[in-house]
Amino acid sequence: MRAVWTFALMTMRSLLRRRTIWGIVLVIILALLGIGQVPSFDVSGQSRFIVEFGLFGLEMGALLLAIGLASNIYPRDRENRTIQPLLAVPLSRVRYLLGRFLGAAIVSGAAMLVGCLGLMLVLTLNGFEIPTSLLPATLLLLVEGWFLLAVVFFFSFWTSPPLNAPLTVMIFIVSQMSVREFVGLLPGASGLMRTLRLLLPHMDVFHIKDPIAHGIDVPLVYFLLAALYGIAYSVFMLSVALAVFRERDLR
Amino acid sequence: MESMPLEVEGLAKNYPRRLGLSSFTAVKELSLSMADGQILGFLGPNGAGKTTTIKCILGLLKPSAGSIRLYGSPPAAPEVRRRLGFVPENPDYEDSFTPLEFLSMFARMRGLDDSREDMISLLERVGLSGWEGTRIKSFSKGMRQRMSLALALQSVPDLIVMDEPTGGLDPLARKEFRDIILEENQRGASVFLSSHLLSEVEAVCHRAVILSRGRVVREGRMEDLLRTENTYSVTWSPADGREKVNETVPAAELQGKLDDIRQSGGRIREVGPRSLTLEEVFLSATNSGGGGE
Repeated sequence: MRAVWTFALMTMRSLLRRRTIWGIVLVIILALLGIGQVPSFDVSGQSRFIVEFGLFGLEMGALLLAIGLASNIYPRDRENRTIQPLLAVPLSRVRYLLGRFLGAAIVSGAAMLVGCLGLMLVLTLNGFEIPTSLLPATLLLLVEGWFLLAVVFFFSFWTSPPLNAPLTVMIFIVSQMSVREFVGLLPGASGLMRTLRLLLPHMDVFHIKDPIAHGIDVPLVYFLLAALYGIAYSVFMLSVALAVFRERDLR
Repeated sequence: MESMPLEVEGLAKNYPRRLGLSSFTAVKELSLSMADGQILGFLGPNGAGKTTTIKCILGLLKPSAGSIRLYGSPPAAPEVRRRLGFVPENPDYEDSFTPLEFLSMFARMRGLDDSREDMISLLERVGLSGWEGTRIKSFSKGMRQRMSLALALQSVPDLIVMDEPTGGLDPLARKEFRDIILEENQRGASVFLSSHLLSEVEAVCHRAVILSRGRVVREGRMEDLLRTENTYSVTWSPADGREKVNETVPAAELQGKLDDIRQSGGRIREVGPRSLTLEEVFLSATNSGGGGE
């Protein structure tokens, strides 16, 4: 475990020294500040608008962070050959993947929390109350981001970074669809489409911006179950990624 | 009795081509072994399969056939990896780190003590003294190679695998690398050295394996490889006082030649089997051997 944690720290340092993360955080903060400036016809409407669009912005941030942080990690390690001494000596492939994932997940989590604090600040500056479920809602989006991170790692082991981004966005979009909507894309192969859809998570469980914006309390047990669901899917996706990575020749 | 540092038996590696419809054979039926405390030179022209073999030995590539044992265990075994040091060819590395950061992280991943003094003295040993706090992105190719060497030596390995460690280095740096290889060997480490620099291999290796088109075409102890069975070198001084003459004579004609020299009044200075250079051995092995794909 020490090796994984050390490697995760190495990953965090490396990611924080790249411009990508700071660019994404800047975009999230600017978007939040922009939301605070949008005028609305009534006070409760503006508060709802800030919460809804703020959480939507954070969800997009989670997607951007997953792609921006992780799509280049493995290709870069191969290109600069850092992976050779790493895998030849101190790390197994499982530890490599876990360390890289953990490092990227922590950086992505920190960026999301900064975004959440920004959203709270915008609400406070506009004189609105901060909904009690705002932080748990952000944490759910973070879990969604971790799943997307695992998806990005999975694709990075067998595609190039330019292909990784659209494939991840496609998974993101498909995972928002209901089974009926997804089957409707290709009605001729409904059995296959239904099976494919069942393999992917229902990301709508992570989206609770509507109830929060309307002041409806979301029970804690919902947050816990949804987080567990997302973590289980992330573990599943990482296992699939590992199965692919284990078979890869590092030429 | 402890197992040998390296045993490769019938190794083959095919790379799929054209979406898996055909394949390219990089290494075929390769068998070799190295004894404890030995420096083994691994030679071959470009594309002979040296790097592929090394990557199979390190578990970076999956062999298509055959077996590899490091100290009697498969390459992936953790107890083996702890005893291994690796210097890759042309490393680039994560360039936002300093050598000290890199060494510290590798030490912790290996479960070693990451004391600053040890790391500084290691960097001093490989010629990176004073550069410990500089980011690797400003390093030259030679400095990155030195960094690789420091990473490989960090765990005081029993087996050091080096893939073209001195490629692109200046003569002074090559000499320093050679000295470190010899020091490590004197400490008891076995060294698997893949190199294009035949003079380097000739100077430090106990044994050599020559690879051509994925096959071993010549191997043996260095002195056996360089010795010829059927050619002799004869040095003699003519009776008229002219300068010494050195001639290469086939074994079958040696006695006749010696008789001729004596009859002419010449004085025989030295007779012995002629030693080849490693370059001659290499060229003859790689031109004649190997077979096709």
